[in-house]
Amino acid sequence: MLPLNHDKYSWYQILFLPIFFNGILTVHLPVVGGLLSAHLLSKKAGVEVEVGWPCSGPLLRMAEEAARKLLPAFQTPTGMPYGTVNLLHGVNPGETPVTCTAGIGTFIVEFATLSHLTGDPVFEDVARKALKALWKNRSDIGLVGNHIDVITAKWVAQDAGIGAGVDSYFEYLVKGAILLQDKELMSMFLEYNKAIKNYTKFDDWYLWVQMYKGTVSMPVFQSLEAYWPGLQSLIGDVDNAMRTFLNYYTVWKQFGGLPEFYNIPQGYTVDKREGYPLRPELIESAMYLYRATRDPTLLELGRDAVESIEKISKVDCGFATIKDLRDHRLDNRMESFFLAETVKYLYLLFDPDNFIHNDGSVFDVVITPYGECVLNAGGYIFNTEAHPIDPAALHCCRKRKEEQWEVEDLMREFYSLKKNKKFTLKRASDHGEGERAKDPEDAPSEKGGEKRNFKKSSHSLLSCPSQSFNSKLAVLGQVFLDNT
Amino acid sequence: IRAKDVTMPAKLPVNFFSTRSPVIDLFRGQLDYADHLRQDSEIVLYFFYAPWCGQSIAAREEIEHVASRLSDQVLFVAVNCWWNQGKCRKQKHFFYFPVIHLYHRSFGPIEYKGPMSAVYIEKFVRRVMTPLLYISSRSKLLDFLSNYEPGVLGYFEFNASPQPPGYLTFFTSALHSLKKDYLGTIRFGVITDKRVAEEISLVRSGSVYLHRHVNTSLIYPNDIMNYTAENICKWALENREMLIRWLRPHGGKSLLLNNELKKGPALLIFIPYNPLSEIHPLLDEITKVALEYHNCNKSQAAEPDLQHLGDTDSPAFDSSVPDAHMKLSETFSITKYPCCNTVVLPQWHSISRTHNVCELCINQTLGVKPNKVHVPHCNFLEIEAALDSFYLQEHTFFQVISNTIECSNFLSFYSPFSYYTACCRTVNRHFLSFISSEKTIFQTPKVAFSSHGKKGNTQHSIPHIEDRNCFIPDLHITGTNITGLSCRTNKTLNLYLLDSNLFWIYAERLGASRSTHLKEFAAIVDLKEEVHYVLDQNRSLVGPTLENFIKNFSILYSPLKRHLVDDPSVHFHEQRVITEVTTNTFHDTVFLSEKNVLLLYYAQWCGFCASLNHIFIQLARLLPPDNFTVARIDTTQNDLPWEFMTDRLPTILFFPHQRKEQSVKFPEDISVNLPNLLKFILHHSRLSSSEPCTKECLHKETVLQQGHISHLEREIQKLRSEISALHQAHDQLEAQLSEARREEHRLQQQKHALEKQHKTLQLHSERLQATYDQKNQELLEMAEKLQELADASENLLKENTLLRILVASREGRLQSKDEIKESLQSEQTLSEENDISVSTATATLEEKRIDNIDTIETEHSSGNRTE
Repeated sequence: MLPLNHDKYSWYQILFLPIFFNGILTVHLPVVGGLLSAHLLSKKAGVEVEVGWPCSGPLLRMAEEAARKLLPAFQTPTGMPYGTVNLLHGVNPGETPVTCTAGIGTFIVEFATLSHLTGDPVFEDVARKALKALWKNRSDIGLVGNHIDVITAKWVAQDAGIGAGVDSYFEYLVKGAILLQDKELMSMFLEYNKAIKNYTKFDDWYLWVQMYKGTVSMPVFQSLEAYWPGLQSLIGDVDNAMRTFLNYYTVWKQFGGLPEFYNIPQGYTVDKREGYPLRPELIESAMYLYRATRDPTLLELGRDAVESIEKISKVDCGFATIKDLRDHRLDNRMESFFLAETVKYLYLLFDPDNFIHNDGSVFDVVITPYGECVLNAGGYIFNTEAHPIDPAALHCCRKRKEEQWEVEDLMREFYSLKKNKKFTLKRASDHGEGERAKDPEDAPSEKGGEKRNFKKSSHSLLSCPSQSFNSKLAVLGQVFLDNT
Repeated sequence: IRAKDVTMPAKLPVNFFSTRSPVIDLFRGQLDYADHLRQDSEIVLYFFYAPWCGQSIAAREEIEHVASRLSDQVLFVAVNCWWNQGKCRKQKHFFYFPVIHLYHRSFGPIEYKGPMSAVYIEKFVRRVMTPLLYISSRSKLLDFLSNYEPGVLGYFEFNASPQPPGYLTFFTSALHSLKKDYLGTIRFGVITDKRVAEEISLVRSGSVYLHRHVNTSLIYPNDIMNYTAENICKWALENREMLIRWLRPHGGKSLLLNNELKKGPALLIFIPYNPLSEIHPLLDEITKVALEYHNCNKSQAAEPDLQHLGDTDSPAFDSSVPDAHMKLSETFSITKYPCCNTVVLPQWHSISRTHNVCELCINQTLGVKPNKVHVPHCNFLEIEAALDSFYLQEHTFFQVISNTIECSNFLSFYSPFSYYTACCRTVNRHFLSFISSEKTIFQTPKVAFSSHGKKGNTQHSIPHIEDRNCFIPDLHITGTNITGLSCRTNKTLNLYLLDSNLFWIYAERLGASRSTHLKEFAAIVDLKEEVHYVLDQNRSLVGPTLENFIKNFSILYSPLKRHLVDDPSVHFHEQRVITEVTTNTFHDTVFLSEKNVLLLYYAQWCGFCASLNHIFIQLARLLPPDNFTVARIDTTQNDLPWEFMTDRLPTILFFPHQRKEQSVKFPEDISVNLPNLLKFILHHSRLSSSEPCTKECLHKETVLQQGHISHLEREIQKLRSEISALHQAHDQLEAQLSEARREEHRLQQQKHALEKQHKTLQLHSERLQATYDQKNQELLEMAEKLQELADASENLLKENTLLRILVASREGRLQSKDEIKESLQSEQTLSEENDISVSTATATLEEKRIDNIDTIETEHSSGNRTE
């Protein structure tokens, strides 16, 4: 969450100072997410909001303006954006077309939120187009690589895994599916998930493989990969999540942190990748898993993280990056995600009653000029920089308006005794918004179509499996194997 | 600006334990000194820690506590094994912290892997201090044997030498077992008294005996396995009897429960356990039940053990117990062996009138699944093999044995997997005539046999090869008796103990009350059937209740009800928009209520559920509260009867009023939104009200209309607030408009000012243009003048050439007129001087011209700038 400054223009100034943000997208996107999140939380934070809130507001306008400056990056033949865009002049002529997968697939949460709140569909459209382009370019065995050329759609780095370079792509497929109730995004993720399980998963570790052949290229665990168990728990794969989490926890126990790369067969750090910049991913997963299992082991990790941070990285003016986990040498820097994410997730892990964990038992009612909205009913989606987005706000600004009169008509039926009308339920299309799913070619069914259709008929993609009986006893490190 | 490549080394290590602590803290990782310290003490405990490690910090207090109790006998050394300058870090490579190593003199390290709690650590340290128990009397022996945990006994004759052969190996094997079996379940004892040893038929010094309650006890097969510490330990671990097992998950990733519970239904008993305590009455009671349960022999063989268990607290029970009782203590009827053969050994001495008669049985302990109905066949080959093995060891059975029967086990000569049991007694010669009726010898209840038993199941008599004699076992099943129940049921339970001080969380998750202070709990978990049953927590956990629990589980039409865990933290809130349903309130809320019920199954962790919260809240606020309940149930916290369980979340069920049994499910492929939910409800709640209109119906209609009116009123209220919001928005817009107008006005003014400024600038520019033109003119004039000058210089040049020509002509004239040379000499010099002066003049002129052009250029550019 960005601090809500009283002088709202100070942010504006920083944001549009070309020298400060020299056009780097990956610096820029968090700003959009941060502004959106701050916009949605501003009322709760005690800021006096304008009447049209949450569908209008100064922070929202800033976010919109910032996002518009990113749109030129999406003007490529494939629809996949450049990695870098100059905020003043658009894409530089000599710009490299090579972008990491995550840099392409990490827009949907912010941009869809923006589109829902402002009513301008352009943001969601470009984000979806980029996602579909990636989906189209996956390998025959269903994997994506690390870096791609956005002009030619050729994979430049062909290592497939779940960590650096790809991580937030998968994260946003799931979070996008949840936020937008979107089956298409979810079916993409489930297909990827299947391939990832088939080719990269060994003994509850996830390795790096060649994206076309599926052969192991790097038997390492990356610190960034530790978000995966948390993601799995969101879609109900709690057993697998816990098993992988316990593997990662052993690495923490060995070093007091997670090295950027950990060689699994050797059981040690990888040369030049021994640092731990106080990343949040493992703690993030612990927070999600604690929601699901209430396993004290997860609090134990929290305790270990607090001890490590205090004992190793605390210096006079902050908390320093650990340069080398082998001897706990410190670097002369503190990463922004330490405060924005690591500390936040740690706090939330130990504060189960925080409003962020709201299970829907409390909520706010907001009167807008367009009608009454229910907000803050829980189910917050964290963007990849740990800025929470309230799904109810998205509904409030778009769907609710569309549904309002239909709901009104239906309510009248409840009070009439005549039953001349038949009520049939409309099948939902794959897409979050039915009318815009016009491109059948892009639909994910193009490859393993038949299989998916079969699966779809058995249960909704937008659901989690119930927890099995043995999950009652799957705490304190105990794991159970499937009976299959 | 931040300096790059500046790093700071880790902080220097400091004391981890306080200086007053009984633990020696080598916080600089001085491993060499730690090794040196070991020489001073018989028992040393090393605590290898990392100062940043949470688990090390948590264990520190526990270690200190143990150290304060044992510091006079044990040396406690803590070593920082993290600091990279320290010796320890350089030499040891640990994957976790803390690591606890124990040394018994030179033996070690023995790693402690148990719970990091002071009592458990202390118990373990004490085990390392005294790995062997000294069994000096019969009562101690009985004590030792009655324990539910497996025991290994060695008999060593100390009279001959202070250290009888094999004793050291046995001692080491006891220590060794602690390495493998860190829970210390196998106890090691040593018998020094020959008479005591005889009680368990150990006669030779150096023999090792593994006591088992239900199965046949074993003697270490010296001749087959080498007599080493590792082998003894391995043998004991492999052959030990686990009637009831402690489960102590270590906290790391583990399949312990998975592996144990997949074996079949399990009875988990949670009791608070203090490993240091001398007496455990509750545990004794439980193990008594366990022994009974597994005791499949109708001869009540385990009875004396059990009696002793029950009497542990009675001080009267000591070595004064008569022999007869002792003998009985380990009695079994041989009838349980399905496959036996009687062998009459040749006379020991020709003059002797006695014979040794042995009953040779195949001991099928291994390879027989306890719960499988199995009819063992007496294979001819097997009996042959048994006889062969027997004859090879015949000599051991020749010595005169007393009137009692003594049994011993020996391994098959051929296969390491079968054991034979031979029970022999010496009989008078004339007895042999009755050999055909040896049944009487072996089956008279008075005749005692040494401790041997077997966990058999159905026993069938099989004709003997030699004398076709059969033993017909008692097949009578006592339906309500727990004794041997494990063999009589096809729902055999495995019994487990858990320390509720450490693992109460499992009990809570199986439904144990969270508020109770007495942490005793028992549950039967059947992983395959996905059910569990719970022993009523209001009844105290004692032997009989436990027995009943087991019996109720085992019988055909079990009265046990599947336990449904319910979320105790949910309290009923009348004012909540959505009714939170739990296991306990499910029936009342859904079935007994007079309303239509829409029930949402959800889990807090499932992303797809949480993002629907606001839709259900809206729905609940819309629906007429008199007729509809919107409810939800957290399926992670609340179990439901099978018929109401779902496999996916979220699931939405609708229970129409008056037809609650005909619940309908919201179709999964339809997106969950307000209109769809309303249509779904309308579609399914409709059918009920299709009867012709009566008086009641009219009443209903009024109620409905009243509901409608209040709904509309609410709507109006909402619209009013919407209007006021719109007004506010209007005001805001108005304000923004006037602001904009003001802004426009200001801009207009600014525009005027700018225009004025523009005009003056234009004037200024014109003026500048004029001066520019003027300057230009001047420059042109200057250029003209320069041109003139240039022309003048050109004239001069021309003159110069003319002069040269003149000079040349004169020279020509001079040449022609050689005679007048002298006079012409002076004239030539003069003309040369003239030439030089002319050329310098042209050079200066040219320079001037360049300067002029420069100034023009600079003027031009300055003119541009001003424009």
